[in-house]
Amino acid sequence: MGVNRVLKSADRKISIVFILLAIGYLSLSYQLPPYPFVPIDSDLVPKVLGFLLIALSIILFLNANPKDQEEKKSSVSRQDLRIFILVTVLIILYISLLEVIGFVIVSMLFIFSCSWLLGYKNFKVNAMVSILFPITVFYIFNYLLQINLPSGMLPF
Amino acid sequence: MNTVQGLWQGFQVAFSWEGIFFVFIGVTIGTLIGMLPGLGPITAIAIMIPMVYGMDPTIAMVLMAGVYYGAVFGGSTSSILLNAPGVSGTVATSFDGYPMAQQGEAGKALAIAAIASFTGGTVSIILLMLFAPTLAQIAVSFGPVEYFALMFMGLVAISSLSDGSAIKALISGVLGFMAVTIGIDAQTGTPRFTFGNANLLEGIDFLVVALGLFALAEVAFLIKNRNNVGIEKTQNIGSLKLTRQDVKEMTGPLLRHSPLGFILGVLPGAGATIASFISYITEKRFSKKPEEFGKGSIKGLTAPETSNNAATSGAFVPLLSLGIPGSGTTAIMLGALLVLGINPGPLLFQDHPEVFWGVVASMYIGNIFLLILNLPLIPYIAKILKIPRPLLISLIIMFCMIGVYSISFNIFDLYLLLAFGFVGYLFRLFAFPAPPFILAFILGGMMEQSLRQALTISNGNFMILVESPIAIGLFILSILSFAFPFIKNRKIQKA
Repeated sequence: MGVNRVLKSADRKISIVFILLAIGYLSLSYQLPPYPFVPIDSDLVPKVLGFLLIALSIILFLNANPKDQEEKKSSVSRQDLRIFILVTVLIILYISLLEVIGFVIVSMLFIFSCSWLLGYKNFKVNAMVSILFPITVFYIFNYLLQINLPSGMLPF
Repeated sequence: MNTVQGLWQGFQVAFSWEGIFFVFIGVTIGTLIGMLPGLGPITAIAIMIPMVYGMDPTIAMVLMAGVYYGAVFGGSTSSILLNAPGVSGTVATSFDGYPMAQQGEAGKALAIAAIASFTGGTVSIILLMLFAPTLAQIAVSFGPVEYFALMFMGLVAISSLSDGSAIKALISGVLGFMAVTIGIDAQTGTPRFTFGNANLLEGIDFLVVALGLFALAEVAFLIKNRNNVGIEKTQNIGSLKLTRQDVKEMTGPLLRHSPLGFILGVLPGAGATIASFISYITEKRFSKKPEEFGKGSIKGLTAPETSNNAATSGAFVPLLSLGIPGSGTTAIMLGALLVLGINPGPLLFQDHPEVFWGVVASMYIGNIFLLILNLPLIPYIAKILKIPRPLLISLIIMFCMIGVYSISFNIFDLYLLLAFGFVGYLFRLFAFPAPPFILAFILGGMMEQSLRQALTISNGNFMILVESPIAIGLFILSILSFAFPFIKNRKIQKA
């Protein structure tokens, strides 16, 4: 099983990341200010969790098979990675423009460009969906559910 | 209140205009999302949550429950037609359902799956109705120690029973617990792990975690697999009719796996997926013709389909009677109920009996709707599988964003959602199961609270944890369930 081997060799690196995470978390837990009037303070559970994570990560590290270390193969192709990054950029743009331009327009732009980016070339259907869906959702949220989505530049 | 009175009250809720409408909406959305390979019931429910805020809690619960069992019901369609299970609970369905479809009997397979799902679901609701109130009565006497032990067992059980490595599942649970410690500590008011960020003071909203870890991460996998779904080819579904012989073959597994699935659903950590596999394996083991399994056996299709739906209703027992979810999906429902101001648990039966009975009664109606949706209407509904992936992906991303925004109205939470999406994607990539994370995230706060309550009672003496016999029993069960995967692995290696 090629996939399993790759995962196992990756497990060692992951366990080290988790140990570092646990150390950071623990050091913050030890800095928590004490609260004098309770027998059990807010630092107890985080400390237990931090040490538990270290213990589990060590077990994960020891269980991983070091022999498979060389067999490194990225399971994400270069093309997929490029698309992931582009979709992420689109999402970040969506988030940052949501309150500026408003839900309807920003959603229209997002659905259209994201579908196009993912390889949907039927221009007409894409345009229709991108226009109709945000308007329908906006209507349902604002008028039926009484949840006000940002209207932005649009007057309604 | 006795069962008959309760059920009468429940049917009044379920047969109201609103009740029928939202059951129908719930099971329809559940069926549709369940059919789409890659999108599971957790995503389906999480996307619905923004819409149920502000709704009457009973109706909201009716809707979410409908989405859940509808998804498990509908998941079988893509297992049979595409060999691409819509939800993990219907993986075992594809073992015999897909070969049947390949032999030109897709219609028959769909009909068997629908009838098996309906029977499993309905029998299980009856058991739910009988067991949950009794369990709640026992649980009324539970104090913080027992609750802590119960939640501890739930977390350990889901970790040891989830797919893949138990260590990874436990790590996932610990990380989920860590994530929920972020924010102001409820007892002392100490801000923890907030890095001075005001947005983190109230902690992370569970919807952000649920949508990120499940919906967005599932979207990432849809993106990766957007090209290799051979849905375009139209399949002739064939006749839906069953012969008398077919029905006879189904009877045995229906009777066996309805109660078995229910019990497995009640157990913490098990749920629909494990129930369906156990049912498939036992049915095969006890079959006189095991060689037929995997080649289109009617029994092999009936068993897991009965069991996964029975387990789905069974999962409501711990959720509604103890207030403690045993799976990722019911954990999301608990999160939603808490936001709606309902505390599920033993007191639910005294304070809000209409929630429990309304949901139970609505499940009967929902299963009838599902039978109609999945039998005569299935050829039309299966068309949803033809929606172009890119459009679907874009729309789901938009729904996730709006879902989070409509609850917090905070842009920061959207970035957090994206971050959890990445975490969820990495989890999947490195085979860390996500359900323990969300369960720990939702139970974590309550667990810490009950632990500290117990230790406050004992003035810091940890011995209080092992003074209650019920708690001792639960801790022993936790240790046993933790040891289970190791024994299981050893047996597999020997075999």
